[in-house]
Amino acid sequence: MKKSSFHFLRVGLAITFLWIGVLIFQNPAAWGGYLQPWAMGLLPIPLAQAMVGTAILDIVIGALLLVDILTWLAALVGTIHLAIVLVVSGITEVTVRDVGLLTGAVALMIDSLPQSIINKTKFKNFYEK
Amino acid sequence: MMNYPLLFTLSTIGISETSYLIRKRIASEKPICPIGEGCALVLTSRYNKFFIVPNDVLGLLFYIVISLISSFLVIGVGPLIFLDFVFKFSIAAGSLLSLFFTYLQWLVIRAWCFWCLMSAFTIWVMGVIILISAIN
Repeated sequence: MKKSSFHFLRVGLAITFLWIGVLIFQNPAAWGGYLQPWAMGLLPIPLAQAMVGTAILDIVIGALLLVDILTWLAALVGTIHLAIVLVVSGITEVTVRDVGLLTGAVALMIDSLPQSIINKTKFKNFYEK
Repeated sequence: MMNYPLLFTLSTIGISETSYLIRKRIASEKPICPIGEGCALVLTSRYNKFFIVPNDVLGLLFYIVISLISSFLVIGVGPLIFLDFVFKFSIAAGSLLSLFFTYLQWLVIRAWCFWCLMSAFTIWVMGVIILISAIN
């Protein structure tokens, strides 16, 4: 990825994660309504507490992406987080938006992985092409 | 109704920009100057500090405060009237300071810095948003 396009994607995703975190803090219960009933049943803690935890995670991911520190880790956690969101919220009219965000996070993660980690994975050839 | 999402977005862009400049300064590297060639000249001039605080650090603190206050105002926590006053006052002060820094680039240093102009423009847009909100 070109350096400038990488930074546009990084800052754009950072703003999204940060603002979603703020909005969840504003009304955790309402955001909890997006969860499928089966997913709510799996929660070991009250829904509002789980959503506050989600908000904190979103803000931490966003902050790391924004200041370009541990970008690969933030993008990796963001990817896992968005994948979980897709699974637990089911298919809705906004699913395509989450797919776009997930793809952006995956692209950031692929592009920012440190060489030491790439060397340890079986995907070394993928990076050399 | 104040457009907090847009103000928050602008402040986070500011955080990203100033943290980039701080990292480059600490690493003693020249920042990329997308337009023009005056960035290094402006950023290393004798006006790059406000007393002993580097301008990039001052900018970072400003943008962090603005993003935190806009978040608190959206969530609805804290002394909201006081926070709203600090929010508007900070942006007004930041706009004036940006005007001064732009004057320095134009007539004193006689070089333009892309990042400094971008930061000034960001703060002025924030000020315009607040003014439009006050009129409506």
